[in-house]
Amino acid sequence: MSIRHGLLALLSRGPRHGYQLRVEFEASTGATWPLNIGQVYATLSRMERDGLVEPGESDEQGRVAYTLTAAGRAELARWFSTPIVQSDRPRDELVIKLAMAVEAKEVDVAEVIRRQRTATMRALQQLTKAKRAVTGGAARRLVLDSMIFRAEAEQRWLDHCEAVLKEET
Amino acid sequence: MTVVRLAEVARVHGEGATAVHALKGVSLEVDAGELVAVMGPSGSGKSTLLNLVGGLEQPTSGTVHVGDQDLATVRDLAALRRRSVGYVFQDLNLIPSLTAVENVMLPRELDGVRPRLAREEAMVVLAETGVEELADRFPDELSGGQRQRVAIARALVGERRLVLADEPTGALDTRTGDEILQVLRARCDAGAAVLLVTHEPRYAAWADRVVFLRDGMVADSTDVPLESAR
Repeated sequence: MSIRHGLLALLSRGPRHGYQLRVEFEASTGATWPLNIGQVYATLSRMERDGLVEPGESDEQGRVAYTLTAAGRAELARWFSTPIVQSDRPRDELVIKLAMAVEAKEVDVAEVIRRQRTATMRALQQLTKAKRAVTGGAARRLVLDSMIFRAEAEQRWLDHCEAVLKEET
Repeated sequence: MTVVRLAEVARVHGEGATAVHALKGVSLEVDAGELVAVMGPSGSGKSTLLNLVGGLEQPTSGTVHVGDQDLATVRDLAALRRRSVGYVFQDLNLIPSLTAVENVMLPRELDGVRPRLAREEAMVVLAETGVEELADRFPDELSGGQRQRVAIARALVGERRLVLADEPTGALDTRTGDEILQVLRARCDAGAAVLLVTHEPRYAAWADRVVFLRDGMVADSTDVPLESAR
């Protein structure tokens, strides 16, 4: 995903200026993706160049509110109607680390798994705490849910590794 | 205040060559207001642990305290269970021919509380678990999540301050499962002690402390300080 599509989605709710967009972006993603204001303005000006948004008059504080164009709406619709491809996710350090622990000599793999499992559970506890603290804002809660599902998958995978390695020895 | 205390508890099923060591020297404490989750694969001893705390099984060695009572010295375990310990199971065990409120009243009536007072007490906990308006429905008129809320209400009614939950989210979907944990969590925050057995990481994560059981022993626990290795 690009910041561009996120901003287009927020602009579909009505004209917004840069600072407002940044605040709303972070609020709906649960601050998992912090933006700096420079990125927001750079993205807006590129989208203006591409005809996806247009700037309005500047207000008394010199802020310019941007509006979605017809082309911008079309691009947003295209984005929402196209599924995400699972291909180029970055390599997972934990997976590599565990594979290497199995291959390497004199490593207590069970111990590596045990430590990781406890650390992952701690992270899961913190995410759950954060989720409980969310009031309103389904977007934010769903972002946290996504992180919870991922941590849960990692935990299950670690249990699986433990069970498989136990069988082999 | 410590509500549950297990000290060096071992439990052996059977004898001789076929003996199964379900628990091998487990020590664990649960305080009032604390939610402790026990995680482990099947055969790790987690159900045995819950049965020992509930007085359904006796330890082969070691001691189990509930409040200030050593369970080995308690004569009427059934009364202790009824008055001090609430259970929530995966299979809800609500009585189908009784309404929600009648199910919740039952343990109080067995304890000699008059029906009218038992009903009042039941309505209070049903309100706390968010199913007050379903009090007069029968179990088969409720959804899985609603039934589990009634079961939790039954586990909490009266003076009980300890809840033992064995896979309480069973076959529920994740959103409903989260709601059940929300209810248990709220009870902890109000002062109850909850010991939760689960194999699902997402529900264990609601706990203040997660204990990992492996082959009858505590393998690890999230209250041990962690050094992050990067």
